[in-house]
Amino acid sequence: MTMIVERVGLTTVQDFGRSGWAHIGVPHSGAADRTSFLLANRLAGNAPSAAMFETSGGVALRMLADTAVVITGADCDATIDDRPLARCTATRVRAGQQVHIHRVHTGVRSYVAFAGGIDAPLQLGSLSHDTLSDIAPLRLTVGTTITLGVAHHASSSLDMSVNPRSAARLGLIRGPHYDLFDNDFLEQLMHQPWRVSSESNRIGIRLRGAPLPSGEQHELPSFPLVRGAVQITPGGELVVMLADHPTTGGYPVIGVLGAADVDDVAQRPAEHAVAWSWLAR
Amino acid sequence: MPPESPRVVAYGSAASIVDGLGAGVAAVLRDAVVHACATEQLVVTDVVVGARSVVVMHDSGAAPAIREILQHLSTHFATQPSPTNGSTIDIAVRYDGADLHDVAEHCGLSVNEVVALHSGAKYVVEFCGFSPGFAYLAGLPTSLHLPRRATPRPRVPRGAVAIAATYSAVYPRESPGGWHLIGTTTHELWDISRTPPAALVPGTSVRFVHAP
Repeated sequence: MTMIVERVGLTTVQDFGRSGWAHIGVPHSGAADRTSFLLANRLAGNAPSAAMFETSGGVALRMLADTAVVITGADCDATIDDRPLARCTATRVRAGQQVHIHRVHTGVRSYVAFAGGIDAPLQLGSLSHDTLSDIAPLRLTVGTTITLGVAHHASSSLDMSVNPRSAARLGLIRGPHYDLFDNDFLEQLMHQPWRVSSESNRIGIRLRGAPLPSGEQHELPSFPLVRGAVQITPGGELVVMLADHPTTGGYPVIGVLGAADVDDVAQRPAEHAVAWSWLAR
Repeated sequence: MPPESPRVVAYGSAASIVDGLGAGVAAVLRDAVVHACATEQLVVTDVVVGARSVVVMHDSGAAPAIREILQHLSTHFATQPSPTNGSTIDIAVRYDGADLHDVAEHCGLSVNEVVALHSGAKYVVEFCGFSPGFAYLAGLPTSLHLPRRATPRPRVPRGAVAIAATYSAVYPRESPGGWHLIGTTTHELWDISRTPPAALVPGTSVRFVHAP
């Protein structure tokens, strides 16, 4: 073992997720913000899919061996013992020291990678904690011990921090049920302001706006969902499917976000404004 | 919606969907799509079945080839009688569910009639969803079709045998649920250490055997 969890709040272990099992109802899961996840592994000198911590509520880790740590994603207050820990660069950390992410701000999710990546027995090919199905190969509580894999050389720093201050402008590709909606509905959908709801989580980012024109309710035979699919609920909310989204659903999908825009919206805290534009098909 | 004939469209930049499939076609089509993609060495991460649809997740560059395969195979299966593709599994059920009497009352049947109808039917897994290993079993006799419970239960025990709308199902693990509980089984439906972990995959035929 290489470290011990000393404090944990809303933190999961994530890698690139488990693909190949959606047809038996297993969500893909994996890092919610893949851009920040991939950057952390790159800076730590790890394989692209190496497992790390994804934290929204902070985590404290006591080192039992020398290693290197990298933090990416949402800005956060982080220290090694009492020294501030910079983001987006590999920092050496020694046995006995404590890596502490106190608070995540200006974004939603910070990524904490260690050289070598988290090593543990996989479940269905992944270490990701799927919060929808509660598949958790490595459940984090105070006292959990973490082992790291073999470290390679960490690379240089590269500041691609998440700083979602301005309003998000997300590009939508028309979804399979676009044709169910008339022009009035689409006009309002595209032009009214939308805000991230506090009920968002790893399963989906919920967005609230003014009530949409009530057309007929669409009851569709259950169909498979994909990451970034934007569903319209009967209550007029929009839900962007995130990492732990259910494998099938029944609400119409008006459009699908590109991968980078899913990463963007995954870092938007509650009340952030979101606007849409259509991408060419 | 759904359209009369299968329709293949983009589902974002990294997936394609065919919908408007006939009943029972999706699971068979999935197997054919997986086979065709392997033959043509197209990298796909997931091929997922819906009630009347199949979704392929792929690299954006593979979209034209994948959509051609979906178009070709869905047209083929639209006119061909679909062969059964899976094994048959017998699931022993004790008809002791909390909603059994309510179901009988709502359907205007006796409890014995509900049991005979449910255990006498032949089912096939149409698709999976809701939770890992949760299979939507088509084939429920129409006299047992009921809307879901108005108030879902926060906890349905593992192994609960249930019905709702046109489907029957077995809860693979404890979870919330809004279906009518008519019985229980000890059949292991989900074991993450097993390959595959789900006992019921799309296309599997299922019979419920009355265990007194």
